[in-house]
Amino acid sequence: MKPEKESMEGNGVSRRSVLKGAVAMGAVAVGGGLALNMSAPDRAEAAVKKLPSNWDETWDVVVIGSGFAGLAAAAEAAGGGAKVIILEKMPTYGGNSIINGGEYNSWDDQLHLREKLQLGEDSVELHKNDTLKGGDFYSFPELVEVFVNGATPALNWMIEEGGCKLRNILNRTGGHSAYRTHTNVEGVGRGYTEPLKKIAESRGAKIRLNTKLTWIWRRDADSQSPIEGVEVVTGRKTVNIRIGKALIMASGGFGRDKKMLREYNPGILDEYNCTNHPGATGETIRMAQAIGADSLQLAFIQLYPYAAPDTGILDVPAIYPFRGPGYGIVYVNKLGKRFVNEMERRDVVSMAQIKTKMKPTYSLFCEAMIPKMGTKEEVEKGIAKGRFVKADTMTELAQKLGIPADSLGETIRNHNRYMAEGKDPEFGRQFTKVMIPLTEGPFYAVAQWPAVHHTMGGLRINKDAQVIDIWGKVIPCFYAAGEVTGGVHGANRLGGNAIPDAIAFGRMAGTNAAKEKRRT
Amino acid sequence: MKKLLFPAFLIASLFFLPYILVGDLSVEAAKPEAVSCKTCHADLASVLPKGHPPVAENSLASCMPCHPSDFEGRAEKNLFATRMHMAHLPPRGSLDCTACHEWMPGKSFGLIGREGSWGAPDAKDMDFLRTIFKSWAGSGYMDHLHAAAGIGCTQCHGKGLPRADDTVENDRCLVCHGPMDRLAQKTEPKEFKDRNPHKSHLGDIACTVCHKGHAESKVYCLECHKFDMKIMGAVEAKK
Repeated sequence: MKPEKESMEGNGVSRRSVLKGAVAMGAVAVGGGLALNMSAPDRAEAAVKKLPSNWDETWDVVVIGSGFAGLAAAAEAAGGGAKVIILEKMPTYGGNSIINGGEYNSWDDQLHLREKLQLGEDSVELHKNDTLKGGDFYSFPELVEVFVNGATPALNWMIEEGGCKLRNILNRTGGHSAYRTHTNVEGVGRGYTEPLKKIAESRGAKIRLNTKLTWIWRRDADSQSPIEGVEVVTGRKTVNIRIGKALIMASGGFGRDKKMLREYNPGILDEYNCTNHPGATGETIRMAQAIGADSLQLAFIQLYPYAAPDTGILDVPAIYPFRGPGYGIVYVNKLGKRFVNEMERRDVVSMAQIKTKMKPTYSLFCEAMIPKMGTKEEVEKGIAKGRFVKADTMTELAQKLGIPADSLGETIRNHNRYMAEGKDPEFGRQFTKVMIPLTEGPFYAVAQWPAVHHTMGGLRINKDAQVIDIWGKVIPCFYAAGEVTGGVHGANRLGGNAIPDAIAFGRMAGTNAAKEKRRT
Repeated sequence: MKKLLFPAFLIASLFFLPYILVGDLSVEAAKPEAVSCKTCHADLASVLPKGHPPVAENSLASCMPCHPSDFEGRAEKNLFATRMHMAHLPPRGSLDCTACHEWMPGKSFGLIGREGSWGAPDAKDMDFLRTIFKSWAGSGYMDHLHAAAGIGCTQCHGKGLPRADDTVENDRCLVCHGPMDRLAQKTEPKEFKDRNPHKSHLGDIACTVCHKGHAESKVYCLECHKFDMKIMGAVEAKK
């Protein structure tokens, strides 16, 4: 729908149609005056975007995005009896969800891995506290509660109903104080998206690819005004979809939106690579803002510390540095020296690397650690592709990496001693009894460098996944879940928290959306 | 006399109204009578291949008893239809679709002198069809690569004229290019077997994610990865 020209005379919009409220966001409905137009940002004059007089299709629940949050939402909405469609703008499904490392934090699971592997204690409360602290207390406790409480049931749900299979490993990762990070057999997010897709489609939800959201229809900014429908484009066709129950925004983050990243955080330099898929852009956040939705904490942008240095890709080898801290992995710079406490959260590790001003840094591990983090096959493939470097001795490893052997040898000897003594005077690393010293080879190294990864900020939601407007009121018939929301992770997201967040809030949004009264 | 002029004018304009509404007087004029190959090819035998049996030249449908038309939309080569079309339309020929096809905008599209309609394209649809046809007849894209091998519109799009929002689904492509496993085997790289464009970590994806019919084909993997992968139909032909 193209916005009408500035003058309202003789352009199909009469005073009467404005007063009748047939005119959507972009002009004041009552009183006939012209108001701020958010649909044509470069025009100061008021313009008008008319509510469609005819709708091309009707669905109970429309979900934007086919990642973890969108699939989980669709599954629950369809399970609640709603007619659901997922609209995905890309030509393939899954967005960032299908390509990430598949790391999932949950205090327990139906296999009771932590107990089985004798990795100590954990609880929902501890997970919550780690999360709040990891985000510097910028996140909202009632939101954190939703996903730390929902993490275990959601994981079991994917296992039981979706056929998800977990690896027999559990990691303690940066910023966490317990071993709670699960990995699936595939070793990537696809190991969860396929089960979720299976559940959603078996419950009747439909997925439509190559369909991009271009406008959200809402009559005006009045707090009582619900979402009416959406305008989408597919190929050369524009389609207006009437929404009977609710719109669920599950469109992900904006890591690939260089303009938006720098609008909110000028410190995110262009030179940083990005782990995200090409569709991770922020236009849906803008559309929601245009109809009155509040947004928050958009300056908080996470760099993944261990991305492949030249491409920024979070490939299989790039997950090892993340899984490793709980088993004794060591990070060194080009001078062969440590530069940070390896147990630290992502922002701390990223900043410490950037401060070294020497790209790349390296993660070092040994043969014994491999089964704790991944598989021999993965490591072999990584060596063939030049991502992992293998050596029999530390000296040989140093030579292969081009870093001073004396310096590296000393660093490793010191670290092994710190581990044995349980105290790290240099960086204060916390040690546990399952950690493995770097005494017996073969030894491995993987190069790493920070890349833009996750946008913690986004649309404001309440604990029921309802979107809140700028006045603090719920926007009727509008939900959001996953990376598109803000306030769940605060200043920094702990690794492994994104997936349970997206799925728990996705389920919450879908369940609640199905309960909405159906309008015609 | 003057009193009769206006009613006479009214009646006359009513008579022309159908032609005005339809929009193209020349089409109407060319329409019904006796359009056949002989209309242009006085010596039809000279344009037929050597050894071709004699043809009754009284209509455009004279070839059909032996040569299946595209009407059935079968997923198999039709060299007759593709060569016929490419010979008569730009860039090789200079005719428009309506030289042989009877088109009633928004109502029907068939062959002059023969019963049956293959769709109801309006003027906008016809313009779009002409643009796509031009690509099929001479671009560097996949459509022309298929044209050269005897594959035209309906072999991919199915029965009838393609519509503007048509998609071509995998099972159609796989009729000739499948099964999927065999395709994946053909493109398995020697060095890193998991870098197989037909066994993507993105799951079961549409052929058309990479292989575009009427536009440049692009390897989707390369949106993120720096692999050495080539794809046919990647460039516009320099015509």
